[in-house]
Amino acid sequence: MRQHIIWRELAEPVPGLDGLLEATQVLERQGEPLPGIGERLVEGNRFAVARHGILGTALGDQIHGLVVQGILVGHTRSLAGCACRGELLGSSVSLLAELAATIRAAGPAARGFPFERWAWRVFEYQYERNPAYRQLCDRRGISPRTVARWQDIPAVPAAAFRQADLACGPAEAVFRSSGTTAGDGMRSRHAVPSLDLYRASAVPTFAHFLLPDAVRLPMLALLPPPELAPASSLVRMCAWVGEELCTGVEWFADDTGLRRDALQARLVAAADSGEAVVLAGPTAAFAALFESGWRVRLGPGSRLMDTGGAKGMCRPLSRAGFLRACWHHLGLAAYWCVNEYGMSELCSQRYESVLHERFAGASLAPRRLLAPPWLRTRVLDPDTLEEVSAGAPGLLCHHDLANAGSVAVVLTDDLGRAVDDGIAVLGRVPGAPARGCGLLLRELDER
Amino acid sequence: MSADERADLPAAPTSREIARALDRALEVRQRLRDRSPRETATALAAAARRWIEDEELHRGLPAVARLSAPMVGSVLPRVAAALDVEAMVELVNRERGMSPPPGLVAAVVASNVPALAVPAIALGCLAGAAVLVKSGRGDPLSAPAFHRALAAVDPELAATVVPAYWPGGTSALEQAALARAEVVVASGSDLTMEALRRRVGRRLVAHGTRTSVVALDIRRERCLDTLVRAVALDVVLYDQRGCLSPQVALVAGDREAFADALVRALAALRPILPPGEATLEERAAIRLAIEEASWAGAHAVRAGLGGTVLVETWADLRPGPGGRTIRVCPLDSLRALPTALPLGRIECIAIYGDEVDVAALEARGVARLCQPGRMQDPPLAWPRGQRPALGSLLRPDDPMRTLLDERTLPASAMRTCPEAP
Repeated sequence: MRQHIIWRELAEPVPGLDGLLEATQVLERQGEPLPGIGERLVEGNRFAVARHGILGTALGDQIHGLVVQGILVGHTRSLAGCACRGELLGSSVSLLAELAATIRAAGPAARGFPFERWAWRVFEYQYERNPAYRQLCDRRGISPRTVARWQDIPAVPAAAFRQADLACGPAEAVFRSSGTTAGDGMRSRHAVPSLDLYRASAVPTFAHFLLPDAVRLPMLALLPPPELAPASSLVRMCAWVGEELCTGVEWFADDTGLRRDALQARLVAAADSGEAVVLAGPTAAFAALFESGWRVRLGPGSRLMDTGGAKGMCRPLSRAGFLRACWHHLGLAAYWCVNEYGMSELCSQRYESVLHERFAGASLAPRRLLAPPWLRTRVLDPDTLEEVSAGAPGLLCHHDLANAGSVAVVLTDDLGRAVDDGIAVLGRVPGAPARGCGLLLRELDER
Repeated sequence: MSADERADLPAAPTSREIARALDRALEVRQRLRDRSPRETATALAAAARRWIEDEELHRGLPAVARLSAPMVGSVLPRVAAALDVEAMVELVNRERGMSPPPGLVAAVVASNVPALAVPAIALGCLAGAAVLVKSGRGDPLSAPAFHRALAAVDPELAATVVPAYWPGGTSALEQAALARAEVVVASGSDLTMEALRRRVGRRLVAHGTRTSVVALDIRRERCLDTLVRAVALDVVLYDQRGCLSPQVALVAGDREAFADALVRALAALRPILPPGEATLEERAAIRLAIEEASWAGAHAVRAGLGGTVLVETWADLRPGPGGRTIRVCPLDSLRALPTALPLGRIECIAIYGDEVDVAALEARGVARLCQPGRMQDPPLAWPRGQRPALGSLLRPDDPMRTLLDERTLPASAMRTCPEAP
């Protein structure tokens, strides 16, 4: 059984607690507010501490004065004699919080993630709280009671994010797709009620695919800082990654576009000192950097995450060409270059497997876009919307549990195919509006 | 095998072969400089009649153009009909003026619909130029077939025409060929045109992305059935792939009834003009349009065997996905039509009803008005993008625009029920 509680003043070990407490947020310590520390896990009467956060060591008996908001999974009766006070929270907050805790506890490498169980719960939740989505389901005669398989949960077209607010509650942030040619009305608008859930999904996934060696490096972002691009989900993610996984973020774009000189100077400094760095940004921004013909050899262990594909590029550049250019201009071998596939409408991302697999000793595996276990992608026949046979091309339809606060199933404008346990993106459907973070810098240029 | 290595595509010529062919074409053209326009027009018309009988063309075109054989059989005569002797002579008299003919006109023809090479050759010949026609990979057959037909009726004139095909991205060959042309006429996406303009400069007559619509006032309707069948034909021909194919029907009146009737009319045309095989991208585009419309409302999608009609609640004039899919959008009256149109993006309007403000449509950049059912029968004089068909070859950097000519569609015709297709 589950109970949502605020757990206060845990002065003594909990007697006989054989359940599991997934605390999603430490609210207060010794009377001081501590918002946003992240999850703590209480198993029996023993704290297990997640890998990150300010209280990054086992807490043991240092837990006096903590006020923790979380979800209790276990026997409430066993709490009766303990020094804690339970209080039920509204479930609209708690499902998102519970899912965030589950995602954090599982991590991107989890086997046996309870995807289907969560898919049902999230569908019920969204059907109940998202009127626009419910209308679509009702028109199709589909409800949580009638759906037999998770694959039958209705998808919304990505275009719906241009037309309606699809949030299940008040939004903590609204992310918008970039796109210069289509005009403001053609931009997607993703209202996100729980940034914590987005963070719970995005940050560990980045760590898994970009930092499999668990190093902490400085991040150099070919992006504007959050204050200049508050509606960019990519910028938000990079800020979190910089904060949690790196030694910090340096932003190399502003309202005039890419600050090429500053970036080049920083890269030269890094190369001279042998300092490894994480480069992150739109593919188009890297292509713009390469245009000048300038070269540097970055220190060992440096790596690069690019996203957005050819959108926003002055000249088309194939993937192979891009990887060659990374070697030529930055001295980065292809396995240090990881492409990210994300959308402003999704809170989870896919990444190329290449770096993670190299560290896992599987260098010969094909380059493909892998996802954390809470994101599944189906490749659909455009005529029937049924799944195509393995390896055949079709429309990509993502089922992202981290989108629990809006709509989990999104039919995209992208064509792709399954490659082993991942996917490859083949391109966009003709006529689909130009969009994506590749256009972000161009937008800044055009301001 | 990549698309450009398909066995049914002709081999690309070498730069030297193209250069030799152009030398010869220019030399013969010089000899023909005193030919009368009527003599040229007569030869072109005779060639057109011969061209539509070309067996090789009928055999090969359905596969390369991805159109059904009945569709090919239907559209080739429409193309040939535009090469009418009197119409061609009148066009020359109206637009040729005193300008000297260009030496070489190069036409880079788009691939979306077949046989675009034929009017390109005809206009080049009427301008008094040698013509290089670079076909797209969707139809590398029409130009050589027309060249064969012309050679049979007028070998000298045929010698001034060089049909060629080479895959996109063969830049050295393209550079060499286009460098010799005094005028380059090209159609394709805005992006392609932008890239071409950088290389060709002011010699380029560019026809970028434009689309067409139907505008109907059916509030006091007398002939809805005929109108709907005419619109269905406009949609179906060329599988809706051309810039003259309507993507949107703006309707003043009962849109729901119109949509229902249009779905039935599209279904009725399917066995007569079956669709060609659609690519994954085309099918995906249709699916996304349907899903987007489904999102908007329960009754928005009328999907039938012959095509799909999306009933919109606002004037959504975005280019559609093609594949016989049309949006039906509300319109208060035809007087409100000009303000509903995006500036400079609409090529042709098939129109029916009163109160048409032709001058206002012209100001929005509309190049052609016609009756429903006639959208795919443009005359050779069709001023694409409001550029005079022949005049733009003679004076490519002249910004002159041809005004909509009401003689091609008198106001009375806008109120006349179209002929049953």
